[in-house]
Amino acid sequence: MMDLTVEFKGVSKQYPHFSLDNIDLELPTGSIMGFIGANGAGKSTTIRILMGLVLQDKGTVQVLGHSMPGEQAAAKLDIGFVSEDMRLYGAATLEWHMKFVSSIFPKWDQLYADKLVQRFDLKPQQKIKGLSHGQRVKAALLLALARKPRLLVLDEPTTGLDPVARREVLGELMAVLADEDRTILFSSHNTQDVEQISDQITFIDRGTIIDSDDKEGFLDQWRRLRLVMPQHAEVPRLPGVIDVGGTGRLPVLTTNRFDPGMLTVCQDLGATIQAVDSMTLEEIFVTSVQHRRETLAV
Amino acid sequence: MNYSMVKRLILKDWYLHRIPIAASLLGGIGALGIVCLGGQLAFTAGLVLLLTALIAVGSHLAISTMVNERKDQTLAFVMSLPVSHAEYTLSKLAGTLLIFLFPYTVLVLGSLALFAIPHGIPHGLLPFTTIMAVEVLLNTCLMMSVAMATESQGWTVASIIVGNICINIVGFVVAHLPGIASGLSGASVSWSSTASVSLLVEFAIIALMLGMTFFFQSRKRDFL
Repeated sequence: MMDLTVEFKGVSKQYPHFSLDNIDLELPTGSIMGFIGANGAGKSTTIRILMGLVLQDKGTVQVLGHSMPGEQAAAKLDIGFVSEDMRLYGAATLEWHMKFVSSIFPKWDQLYADKLVQRFDLKPQQKIKGLSHGQRVKAALLLALARKPRLLVLDEPTTGLDPVARREVLGELMAVLADEDRTILFSSHNTQDVEQISDQITFIDRGTIIDSDDKEGFLDQWRRLRLVMPQHAEVPRLPGVIDVGGTGRLPVLTTNRFDPGMLTVCQDLGATIQAVDSMTLEEIFVTSVQHRRETLAV
Repeated sequence: MNYSMVKRLILKDWYLHRIPIAASLLGGIGALGIVCLGGQLAFTAGLVLLLTALIAVGSHLAISTMVNERKDQTLAFVMSLPVSHAEYTLSKLAGTLLIFLFPYTVLVLGSLALFAIPHGIPHGLLPFTTIMAVEVLLNTCLMMSVAMATESQGWTVASIIVGNICINIVGFVVAHLPGIASGLSGASVSWSSTASVSLLVEFAIIALMLGMTFFFQSRKRDFL
């Protein structure tokens, strides 16, 4: 049986203008899940429920074997959490924050914290209010990482960072991935960041999880077929094709269940295969969202 | 309940607000010094300054420890620590009260000590002073409860205004209570049952306000 660090079962949460519907989510121990959704898709609400900060209306949430939100204090001893809207105390220094957090977490690693201070080019004696946005994110990340959490939850940590700071943050996350026992949930609307570090991908849109798979699965199964059709021939109807674009004789078929056999079927119908294009995670995400919204609209 | 964690959160707030606490303490001691100068004008001016120092530190603490935690987005940081909703609520209510009690106790004891110095304050004012001192504490607890329950600067400012009006009304009413009014200008302390009942009512309101705030806040469904 798979060892799960996070397990959502049928979780729903209703707000006046937004609802999270029947979320089932499993995060196996040691995996790095990229949680992708547009702004307002429900990523932060899902993460707040995971952290025990918001009580779900329906369903159960288990994190590190603890039922949330009831056992959140015990669970959070092993969670490092950084969110885009998290701020540290402006009037206090980074050094004070490090002392404060280290007094709470028994697994705090001061040597690692010092290493991160150097790597992120931070000054411990500097007050937080004097730091740039990038430095603040790095400081928050340092405080989360040096506590040596078993689960790292990052809610849009790279939003608003300049390219250099973003690369440094992602670089440190890549280094953290070397620890196979650590599980990471990384939410973002930036698919490039997610693609870089994740091995599992989950798409969320308008409060519903629309797809979840390992990254290779997504990249292997999604393809764009560029065809040239004979005069008056119809575009072949193939299973797994979720979008047909292009123009009359030059259709572009997008599939999320690519199988080389599809090419043979197209050729048998007289089509010429002009190209079979791989898709980026961003293209896959956008197509998934559009397909779902079109399906719901029908 | 993890009291060790609650203690750490209280110490955090103490550290972060040490400068306004020290400033209010210094201001209050200065006000007591003015009272010591003697005379009606010094007494009135000192009393007004003392009340101002206490109300200022109380309202500052209510806003900065409770309202600003959400406004400044530091709540997510605190709630990422191994702390439950109930522990967070307890740390805020107990912590803000304890932090306030430090300058408050020093200044109230200082005020009461003035009665022991021969400079003209009638000892008969002691029961009234004690009741009004507890009224200031009640006023602070009102601001804390509103700040905790609403996390809104607007509502907290409204409670500060209401509280200050109440201090004046309570002062007027207490000064005219038959059991207290008669001894106000007396040379010796005359502690009546009216004074005891007034204090009991004030402490009961404080306990009820804080108890209800803790009860409802620690059961809040959504924290962020």
